[in-house]
Amino acid sequence: MLEIKNLHAKIAENGTEILKGITLTVPKGEVHAIMGPNGSGKSTLAYVLAGRSDYEVTSGDILWNGESILELSPDERAAAGVFLAFQYPMEIPGVSTMTFLRTSVNATRKKRGQKEYSTPEFMKIARAAALHLGVKDDMLKRALNVGFSGGEKKRMEVLQMALLEPTLCVLDETDSGLDIDAIKIVSEGANKLRGPDKAMLVITHYQRLLNYITPDKVHVLAHGRIHKTGGKELALELEKTGYAEFTGKAA
Amino acid sequence: MTVAIIKTKAEQALATDFASRRSRLPGTAANAKMRSEAMAAFERAGLPHRRVEAWKYTDLRAALKEISPFAAGEVSDLSEADLQLALGAFASIAADRLVFVNGHYVPALSTSAPQINLFTLGEVLGSGGTLAPLSTDEAMVSLNGALVTDGAIIDIAAGATLTKPILVIAAATGAKPSLTALRHMIKLGAGAAATVIEVHVALDGALASQSNSVLEISTGDKARLTHFLIGLEGPAATHIQTIAATIGADATLNSFQLTVGTGLARNQAFVRFAGERSKLDISGLMLARGREHIDTTLVIDHAVPHCESRELFKTVLDDTARAVFQGKVIVRPDAQKTDGKQMAKALMLSEACEFDSKPELEIYADDVVCGHGATVAEIDPAMMFYLRSRGIPEDQARAMLIESFVGEALDKIDDEGLRELLSGIARDWLSKGHA
Ligand SMILES: Nc1ncnc2c1ncn2[C@@H]1O[C@H](COP(=O)(O)OP(=O)(O)OP(=O)(O)O)[C@@H](O)[C@H]1O
Ligand SMILES: [Mg+2]
Repeated sequence: MLEIKNLHAKIAENGTEILKGITLTVPKGEVHAIMGPNGSGKSTLAYVLAGRSDYEVTSGDILWNGESILELSPDERAAAGVFLAFQYPMEIPGVSTMTFLRTSVNATRKKRGQKEYSTPEFMKIARAAALHLGVKDDMLKRALNVGFSGGEKKRMEVLQMALLEPTLCVLDETDSGLDIDAIKIVSEGANKLRGPDKAMLVITHYQRLLNYITPDKVHVLAHGRIHKTGGKELALELEKTGYAEFTGKAA
Repeated sequence: MTVAIIKTKAEQALATDFASRRSRLPGTAANAKMRSEAMAAFERAGLPHRRVEAWKYTDLRAALKEISPFAAGEVSDLSEADLQLALGAFASIAADRLVFVNGHYVPALSTSAPQINLFTLGEVLGSGGTLAPLSTDEAMVSLNGALVTDGAIIDIAAGATLTKPILVIAAATGAKPSLTALRHMIKLGAGAAATVIEVHVALDGALASQSNSVLEISTGDKARLTHFLIGLEGPAATHIQTIAATIGADATLNSFQLTVGTGLARNQAFVRFAGERSKLDISGLMLARGREHIDTTLVIDHAVPHCESRELFKTVLDDTARAVFQGKVIVRPDAQKTDGKQMAKALMLSEACEFDSKPELEIYADDVVCGHGATVAEIDPAMMFYLRSRGIPEDQARAMLIESFVGEALDKIDDEGLRELLSGIARDWLSKGHA
């Protein structure tokens, strides 16, 4: 279970508060969607969950499986099962995608006390997963994300998610930039990761994704706070009304 | 002739050393005269210092407080096993070897039946041959001319293609620091092709070795030379090297220069295009930490039209290390259609390190494409976060990013085996930093 308790976070560099008391619980086996206007703090929340040091948590807590993860480094959080699919995946010139994937998976497996894969073993696994997600073989040889199209980068995020076997998945606008076929594939992949011991937070602007990944709950985040929580019909409602209700003065 | 008063202790030591050992230096009376003239030229200029524009960032006069005694005629007892150890990965490559220890050729450590006739400068001078002085006003070249003891003469006949690289090794040994002066020559006849790998090493216990070597390169028309300059002498060493190269028509010269953890290194190259439609690539890596100082200074002279030059140097600095990249490209009035590009990039791992870059374009022709650039960066925290969010620990993530930074330069090496070998050296150096 993911428990976010009255979480406040500011930008470390200039002290601007972005998250102003977020409280949110995602029980295991559930998928929750987060929607909200641009600049409301959705990605910030995702980054804070993953442990990005540009943000400083000033109060509140994040518990995963009953334990606070605030003191864990990003790589320790990954080992603990946290995975963030970035809204804007980074390009890493000079590091081949395959090398990166193997390093990432083996480092994580090592920390989880699992056996590391040999290079041939891993290549087989990675190729099979890539094929399934429509990631072309030559992309695995290229530098990570460098020159990948927007959709290719998102598929690469989902490939990483599949290979790292996380238990807490945070998808930050993974559907943006994906074509319809890819949305289906990605959703299928995400649905596969649904399980009794897993939890998922899906950040999206589009109700469409939620047709494929049916959320148990939908939260509206605005001005750094959760303003409304509802079932999947809330997404449909927002599609019609927009965020006018939330974008006025912060309540 | 007026000789300026010798100012520093080091310069004094050089003069005294030369006076006492000149009679034992190889060569005829004609050579002895040239040595004296070269010494006089050196004494007029003295050790290069910061008021000499080309040495602005590398003040040898200030840096070289002590000059080691000149290693003339010293017999070495270097064993094959010790040499192998010092060479590391280079020990196992399939190549013909020429080994110079403390400034002298050691046949016992060299290849007995090389693919071509290899001569040494010592042999030439010993049998009455003469050594033409290099025409240059570089003080360190003059000093080399005065003190030179030996060197490799690699003369490859027109049309010949060497199947194996030639490995030229300069090793410094012994607990006593010493100063060496080698002068190598690589000459490729028309259409010849060769790879020459020059490795400078200091053996364990070789303290403060000082080398001041000169390499002359001349490639004939349609010739193709791949040259490597590998400096691994260690943090106590001083390494000064001057390359003077002339490229014929339709020829290719690639030189890759890797300097790793050398106390004080200055690699200067003066390259002149003498024939049209030729290509030059001088690229490399400078890796320094502690108080190390590495300087790469290039002067590329496009004297004729239709030639292409590329330079890419990548530098990684930590602690209070300093690196210098000076790149001058001259395009003479006739040299239309010149294509010259130069790039120097530094990655700073600490706030106290320093990178000085001075590009200089002197263009006298109008129909040319020339560009240069320099960047200084730190490790990108956003990239670090991305890698770490994928479970990669901090040290490993940092190493990956540094490796990817240096990879761009290493990619210039066509030969996969050599590229992997040099990558390994860079990786070893990188992994030592954040143990
Ligand atoms: N490192 C930072 N420096 C300065 N401002 C920042 C930083 N990070 C976030 N912000 C600001 O915080 C606010 C929230 O940003 P965030 O990226 O979380 O929004 P979002 O809800 O994900 O928006 P979108 O829907 O456009 O992706 C924005 O106003 C943004 O400009
Ligand atoms: Mg966002």
